[in-house]
Parts: sequence; C-alpha cells; structure tokens
Amino acid sequence: MRYTLETIVKLRERGAIQDYAIAGAVASLYYLEPMLTEDIDVLVSITHLEQRGSGLVLLTPIENALAEMGFTERCDVGIRIGDWPVQFLPVASELDEAGLAEAIEIEIDGSPSLKVRVLSPEHIVAKALTVGRAKDLVRIQAFLAEKAVNLDKLKALLQRFNLMSDWSSFCFKSGCPNPFSVT
Amino acid sequence: MTAKHYPDLSDIFARRDAGRKQRARMSMGEKLKVMDKLRATADEFKEMRERRKSAPSRQKD
Repeated sequence: MRYTLETIVKLRERGAIQDYAIAGAVASLYYLEPMLTEDIDVLVSITHLEQRGSGLVLLTPIENALAEMGFTERCDVGIRIGDWPVQFLPVASELDEAGLAEAIEIEIDGSPSLKVRVLSPEHIVAKALTVGRAKDLVRIQAFLAEKAVNLDKLKALLQRFNLMSDWSSFCFKSGCPNPFSVT
Repeated sequence: MTAKHYPDLSDIFARRDAGRKQRARMSMGEKLKVMDKLRATADEFKEMRERRKSAPSRQKD
C-alpha cells in the first residue's frame, strides 16, 4: 500500500491532481486499528478537471498521468496502482469541499518517510454518516468507541452541514448513546 | 431447579479492547503492512470461494 500512496503523492507533484485527501478505510487507519478494505478512496478537487454540462466530471488528467506512469489496469472500482485498486472521487458536495480544505498531513514512517493528506476524523465520521452503508455505520461506532474523534468538533461539523437529524437516526439505529442529546 | 452459572467473560473483552487500542497505536508504516497482509489473506479466501463455486457440485450416491 505504501507504493500506492507514493504514486498518489507523485500524481500531485506532476500536477495531475491538485488538492487531495485519502478518505474511507485507509484514512481511518491513521486513527484506528487496521481493518480490511478492498480499495483506497482518494477525494480530489475538481477545479482542474473537465466538467460536462450534465455534471459528469472527467478524470482524464489523472488517468493520462497514471497511464504515463504505467498504470492502465482498470478494475471494478477504479484504477489499479500496484496491488491496490484506487478510486478517485471528485468533490461532490460542500462537505467534501470542507473535508479537503481541512484535511491534515500525516507522515508515514519508513525510508524515506512519506507525507500524505488524510481526512480529519470528524470529516471521516460525517462522510460515513452521509454514505450510510452498514460498514460506514460500523466505522462511526469504532471512532466513538476508541474516542478517536473530537466530539465538540464533530458536533460543530454536523450542525454546519445540517446532519444532526442523520446523527440522531444513526444513534437510534446503532444503539449508541447520543453524546449530543440534551437530557 | 438450580440456576446455571456461566463464566465471566469480562477479562476476555478487556483483553480484546486492550489489543484494539494497542493496534490503533501502531505507527502508520506498520499499519500499512498489516493492511497488505489482511488483504492478501482475504484474497486467498476469495480465490478458495471462487474455486468452490466453479467446481462441479458433488452428486449424491
């Protein structure tokens, strides 16, 4: 996976992607114990990507750069870089945009060390809440159980993006006590 | 009727929690290696499942 992340960093150095942040399970990895995942999700800004009138965003600059680097194998979720499928997800909401702007840079130990940008824990939780699949809800529970999320920041984020009712539904469905409920 | 006594599992759950916390404290480099291993193991299981699915079903005698 390190090789795949190095390649993503190179894509930015080549200008094929501008702002980016690792999202999903691999971003969660920084805050939680390792969990099995199928792919690497990378949130990317769309400022330099061609957008069709229909709203469809073309990832051509990324695909071209990857092809120049020798990565042409497609798989069901995206493009295979090294051993890992990588899914490039263009920013598709204000929450995504804020996630990208508030992403943090982390250093991965090893030789040489590698710096990558990952979503903040609060943004991972908020995004998981909006996606809402069973595995996303499990991820939220893991963040809460491990106290890996700042509850004040999370509450502010959920309020900012009108996600408080989704949060209440999540707490109800999962049986998690709602840390924001007023009793 | 005597009440059944079941074993107290709290120490098992406590050890499990401690293990989870310990793994969460690993360095990112170590975690990436764990992810690679997890995926390789999962791939082996997937291949076994695919082989089993594509194998002709056993006939009853």
